[in-house]
Amino acid sequence: VTRRLLVIEDGTEYVEFARAFLSGFAVEAAQSAAAALDALAARPADALLIDLRFERAAPEALVGDAAETAARLFAGDRERAERYLMEQQGALILGALRAAGHQQRAVFIHDFPPRRLENLRRLYGDVVAIPSFDAAALRAALG
Amino acid sequence: MASRAAAVACAVAGACLFAFAGAVAWTGCGTSTRREWQRAREAWQRHDPRAWQAWIAIDPGSVEGRDARSRLAAAELKYRRGIELLRTGAPGAREALLDGTRLGPMDPALYLPLARAYRERGFDERAAEFYKKYLSLGPAVAVARAEAQAELAALGPDVFQADLVAPEPPFEILGVAPGALVAALAAALVATLALALAAWRRRGPPLSARAAAHPELQPALAYLVGCLRHEILKHRIGAVGDAVAALARGGDPAALALLVERLYRGEPLEAAWRGHLTSFVRALGPDFALLRNERSFRAADRALRAIARLERPLARGDGRAIARLGRAFRTLRAFDGELAALTAGFARTRLDGALLAELVRAVLGEPACAQAPLDELVIAPLAPDLAVEIYKIDLAIAVKNVVRNAIVAVGRGAAPRRVALDVDVTVEPTGEESVRIRVHDSAPEPLDAAELAAARVDRGLGLARETLRRAGGALEVAPGADGYAKAVVLRLFRAFDAGHVASRPPLRAAS
Repeated sequence: VTRRLLVIEDGTEYVEFARAFLSGFAVEAAQSAAAALDALAARPADALLIDLRFERAAPEALVGDAAETAARLFAGDRERAERYLMEQQGALILGALRAAGHQQRAVFIHDFPPRRLENLRRLYGDVVAIPSFDAAALRAALG
Repeated sequence: MASRAAAVACAVAGACLFAFAGAVAWTGCGTSTRREWQRAREAWQRHDPRAWQAWIAIDPGSVEGRDARSRLAAAELKYRRGIELLRTGAPGAREALLDGTRLGPMDPALYLPLARAYRERGFDERAAEFYKKYLSLGPAVAVARAEAQAELAALGPDVFQADLVAPEPPFEILGVAPGALVAALAAALVATLALALAAWRRRGPPLSARAAAHPELQPALAYLVGCLRHEILKHRIGAVGDAVAALARGGDPAALALLVERLYRGEPLEAAWRGHLTSFVRALGPDFALLRNERSFRAADRALRAIARLERPLARGDGRAIARLGRAFRTLRAFDGELAALTAGFARTRLDGALLAELVRAVLGEPACAQAPLDELVIAPLAPDLAVEIYKIDLAIAVKNVVRNAIVAVGRGAAPRRVALDVDVTVEPTGEESVRIRVHDSAPEPLDAAELAAARVDRGLGLARETLRRAGGALEVAPGADGYAKAVVLRLFRAFDAGHVASRPPLRAAS
């Protein structure tokens, strides 16, 4: 049975990798939280593969309020807040998807420290991370 | 009353003097460097084409010089990304270039690639602007000058102005006898060998040792290593591991296509690698010429150069090329692991009640604070096993300045004069944790965010603010706990234990 994987990233690296090496998955791509929500509304996915850093994304497409983040974390420094939102965008997109009711397994390719991964699991449920592009590890992570 | 006013005045003066002395010791520079840095930033703001040279000329041993180089390195990454996105027609080029302009001036070496990228996208006027900037650099661009002139001229008369591109004088060898020429070449060869030997002898200690000896460089080093690992070793090299394995097992068109896309399309891998290496030198100084000093960087360099030569043999399915690619890939994966290990322990301080008590005792022992009346100072218990992303010396500077400020402020008010410290930790939506060290005081004097933001760096709160900012944190003012007028808050990110989840099987998460 072919399973559906929704890849969410600001470029094309993840989706090209997934299409080349994940047989048994129908791979779809979204480049923002809004596009991911649209894709999931049109057709549910069995799993999510999410990039963390969205440096190529337009600022207006990012999840997160830069002004609020600046006030809360960076003493009002908006430039640092915008950079932070880009660098952590994947986790924030996952939060937006969970808030919309999409609870499928989410996989990151990132070397998260164990405690941070535990935090992500407490926040967002079924979250797995692998440290690098590795098809066998990714297949295992997708379950 | 008069004696108390005098004591308070002495306390304030002492605090300011201490803070100022701390600032000078901390920055390691005098007013001339600050003025130079101010002039360099002004040059940038008025779009002076010499701004980049002015920034890079700031003493790299000073705080201002490190700041300048760090911003130049960050800006360069943005500019390079913008140029690449522009060249390939991908979205985000404008934003990346604008991000660069917000950080610092552009390295003149990027004028020509940017001009060409604009030309390829049909933005002739913008292309001409950067061709002219490039050609205005003079002899430094002699090699590519003719090409640039021809490309600029080809844009058409509307945008080509010959007066800006006067030709370089031709290079000539005049009247040299063959024997003298041979002797001159031999002397040049000897001199080159001597210089190479001297350069080899000048090689410094390993990068890890230099990072340990210069903790003040570690934030910039961690940033540069992070960019290198993410952009090259993860997205270009790491992404092809399975493709390399698939090729080794036999022909696989999909694997080859992915491999070609990652390794040979977009910005040439070697150029991207060189760009990162240059960023190290610009941000950290000439001692960080890593190909000279670091065996692992030289091995990575050889591996990347080998990969660059393999495109055609790989396309032919050459078995030796596939094996060579496999070896290069393994070298680079090992290199990535070394870099991860290098930065894992940077900028990390254990935060506990003992450390806060030690810092508070040090402040109370200062003459300024010893004379200030204080009825109560409480440190609330902290969560166990807490560490924050900052060097201990920087945390000490920030905490001591805020505590000193609180003690002096409550000393100016009426009893009960109370100061309290507590620490709370919040899990952020990103899974990170933010740590707030709150210094509550009962002083009725108001303090708002604008005052904190405006505090000069040679004053206690300004110094604390800048120290925290360099560590990725911030200084804020917040309402105080019950019985306190306000709290000055030192905000930092929690430092997690190093290590990733590679060896862990996927787990069903706790709800």
